[in-house]
Amino acid sequence: MDKQLDLLQGTLDMLILKAVSLGPLHGYGILLRIQQISKDRLEIQQGSLYPALYRLEHQGWIASEWGESENKRKAKYYKLTVAGKRRLQAETENWNSMADVIAGILGTKPEEV
Amino acid sequence: MRFWSWMRSWSRAILRRSLLESEMDAELHFHIEAFTEELVRSGVSRQEAIRRARIEFGGVERVKEECRDNIGISFVVSFLQDLRFALRMLRKSPGFTAVAVLTMALGIGANTAIFTITNGLMLHTLPVRDPGRLVELLHQYPGEPAFNGFSWDAFRTMRDGNHVFSDLIVDSLNVIAVRADKLQPQTVFVGQVGGTFFQALGVRPAAGRLIGPEDVHTGDRSPVAVISWSFWKSRFDLDPGIIGEKIVVGDAPLTIIGVTRRGFYGISEHARQDVWWPISLGPSSGMWYGLLGRLKPGVSMEQARAEMAVLFQTAIDRPDVDPFVRRMKLRIEPAGNGVTTPLSQMLSTPLTVLMATVGLLMLLACANLAGLLLARGASRQHEMAVRACLGAPRARLLRQTLTESLLLSLAGCVVGVFVAYVAAHALIRVFASGRFVMIAPVHFEALTKPDAHVLLFTLAIALFTGLLCGAVPAMSASNTAPASALQQGSRIGESKSRRLFGKGLVASQVALSLVLMSSAALFVEYLSHLRNLNLGFEREHLLLVTLDFAHSGYNAAQFSQLSQELLMRLDAIPGVSSATFSSMSPMEGPGSASFASAEDHPEKQTQVSINSVASDYFETYATPFLAGRDFSARDQAGSPVVIINEAAARDCFGNENPIGRFITLSHVTSTRGENTYEVVGLVRDAKYNDLQQPAPPTIYADLLQQGYTGSEHSQLAIRTRMDPDGVASTVRQTEAAALNTVPIVRIMTMSEQIDSSIVPQRLIAMLSAGFGALGALLAAIGLYGLLAYMVARRTHEIGVRMALGAARTDVMRIVLRGALWMVCAGLAIGAPLAFCGKRLAASLIPDLPVAGSLPILVAAAVIITVSLIAAYLPARRAMRVDPMVALRYE
Repeated sequence: MDKQLDLLQGTLDMLILKAVSLGPLHGYGILLRIQQISKDRLEIQQGSLYPALYRLEHQGWIASEWGESENKRKAKYYKLTVAGKRRLQAETENWNSMADVIAGILGTKPEEV
Repeated sequence: MRFWSWMRSWSRAILRRSLLESEMDAELHFHIEAFTEELVRSGVSRQEAIRRARIEFGGVERVKEECRDNIGISFVVSFLQDLRFALRMLRKSPGFTAVAVLTMALGIGANTAIFTITNGLMLHTLPVRDPGRLVELLHQYPGEPAFNGFSWDAFRTMRDGNHVFSDLIVDSLNVIAVRADKLQPQTVFVGQVGGTFFQALGVRPAAGRLIGPEDVHTGDRSPVAVISWSFWKSRFDLDPGIIGEKIVVGDAPLTIIGVTRRGFYGISEHARQDVWWPISLGPSSGMWYGLLGRLKPGVSMEQARAEMAVLFQTAIDRPDVDPFVRRMKLRIEPAGNGVTTPLSQMLSTPLTVLMATVGLLMLLACANLAGLLLARGASRQHEMAVRACLGAPRARLLRQTLTESLLLSLAGCVVGVFVAYVAAHALIRVFASGRFVMIAPVHFEALTKPDAHVLLFTLAIALFTGLLCGAVPAMSASNTAPASALQQGSRIGESKSRRLFGKGLVASQVALSLVLMSSAALFVEYLSHLRNLNLGFEREHLLLVTLDFAHSGYNAAQFSQLSQELLMRLDAIPGVSSATFSSMSPMEGPGSASFASAEDHPEKQTQVSINSVASDYFETYATPFLAGRDFSARDQAGSPVVIINEAAARDCFGNENPIGRFITLSHVTSTRGENTYEVVGLVRDAKYNDLQQPAPPTIYADLLQQGYTGSEHSQLAIRTRMDPDGVASTVRQTEAAALNTVPIVRIMTMSEQIDSSIVPQRLIAMLSAGFGALGALLAAIGLYGLLAYMVARRTHEIGVRMALGAARTDVMRIVLRGALWMVCAGLAIGAPLAFCGKRLAASLIPDLPVAGSLPILVAAAVIITVSLIAAYLPARRAMRVDPMVALRYE
């Protein structure tokens, strides 16, 4: 297993939005999905997930309802709202262009300046 | 969108708090259990799995707190905590709370009461189409109240010549008795309207049709009337058969053709019109045209003023127009909030003065409460220090103290609204005694109705004052350095700046109360000056009875005989010394005017007022003769004679003896034509209209010689040897027996009649005196509070001083000297302010006696006395400090 990376500040919201955009999930499921997609390369503080979820719901980007989990337990499921979908799209574009710029800067060689 | 999701989560968080908490709990535990299960599946023992899951997750409570923070409810929750705590603190010191709430209630109540009336009188928007572009046309003799009533020529010239109004609306407002088959006679506001009135104001009928251009024409008008919805409801019980019913307005029988829509009441909210009928047009109609204009789109007020002033000048600048009328000036004022009425003219100056006064009172109340809070804050330093040590951030402490002051001011606001309600109704009773208001059915509820404006205003001042008087004490309380506060325990010395601020607050209260008291003393002095003016007649022991001869049916001979009989019967009542008749009485209001010229100088015209009087008039009013004689029975058949007053003699004859000379009267307001009279008597000047103005040149004609048959307000005056109210009921019976077809309109004493002419001055004097006393009381409470607190803090020091040999009187002197310093500083600051206030008042009220400095001196004396009393109690407590007890106390 590769070394785990610390999460960049402010990127957790984006990852949650992406995770629930693939289908409704409960909190623990979101954690598992992010770990699964990132192939366990991201270190997420389990406790920090929930304040983020409450914040996102408060902003109206995700919505929650109680449902039944895979092993027949009551669990709170989150899904993306329309506003959340727009938000995810905007954040993704923003992130990509930012990553390009940063990568461009970091990839600069002395003779290119 | 986002706003709604916030509101949703907040409302859920506040209203369904326990559900939120239990769901949050369930959700987090589900996570931990799911993780535990997974660990167990991967082969960890259950116990170990539970342990590891908990560690991985972190502190459940901390996570919950963060969740609450993130949906913004921790703010709400801590606010509720603050509120609970503040309530508990206020309940713990009921004395402080009562004084603070009462202070705020009086300040806020006074402001709300005055604002309610200002709002009702001037700020309600008329319920008509596009009220913002309505203006009223007024004209005015220099120095007199403006009025809205134009001659036919002026109306026609302005209607046909103007380019600024899309409509010139006619509505002449009258007070007329109205009767019908199913209706007792009653006096209402009646509008005589032009054909475009309803259409231009966008009024629709609730039943029938409204008056239109086809009803208004030259000469006779259509005998039709429109009534208001509220009149239909209150007088006809919404009878659907109202259309076609007969109604008698004054003497004119009319047919009701329609009812206006609900909520329409004409062009003034307190002078609500209930009946409208068409006005007749043309030069011979003898009508006065009340005019409103609707500005065309894009036309400004200034353009309208400029154009209409020119038009008005051309209309009156003609040789056949009275020279008196030619001196009038046109004014145009916005009318979207209602037109100018006698009531609004009477109250606009007092309300301005009173608004300024209650503003000062509010500042004083703020300073007072700030002082109380500051002293309280200082005594709570220890508590604040403990809370700061336990980790309360400064902002949180600040919020806590502000919550308390806001709570106090809001409680004051609630009580203040009640105070305002009572005060506004008390004020209305004073308005109702006004000369112009007595005869008109004024809709006073419009003035006391608290609407959204008033509630917003009250809430705004409550919040503002809460923050204002809480801010500094809150800052100083939260600014405590915990270490030093805890170290020194309860005996901590105060910072110099805070002590100075507290003293400054007391000084500023003294200064403000000096301004209030000195202006009150000024207004009271002015009122008593008005009440003691020499009026040219004797005001005490005089009963006035207004009689309505309009439906008496008497001819001149009957009138002469019956009135003589009545006067004789009245003379015979025990306690009555003499009685007389006249067309008007002194201080009743402006009378009928005419122009007089001495026989040999016909070119020199003097404006005079005319009063038709019976013999004994001058004896009854105790107006002395300077030369000549009274009217006598012989005059009735003889040549025409008049008696004139000094002003008329001076204006017509200069310094020459007027007796035996002849005067020519050209009647402007009646159509009797010219007449020449011999002057047989000269009497002292008497005031008729305005106490402040010199008596007008007056010509007294012989009532019986004039063929007088009585008007709808003829005046009977009775001079008594006892309290005039005591004979009122006998007079009433005697009158009913002698003149059974002549109803009594009202009975009042001369003092009441004089008071009715000075309502604005009485209002200002009465209320400013009340506010001045209140101001002094608040300042005294402020001083007492600060001194009592300082003495309590200095008990130890006083004990030491006494132990070292200070006498009790020394201790007392220390306290009193400190108090006097504050008071003197306040007086020094207040004196120039009071001076400015005096100048301001003088600019609003002409001939206010501002020259003397007596009011300020009186106010200062009162304040010093009250302060010494307030300071005496804490000083006595200081004097009684037992050194042994004080020192052992530590």
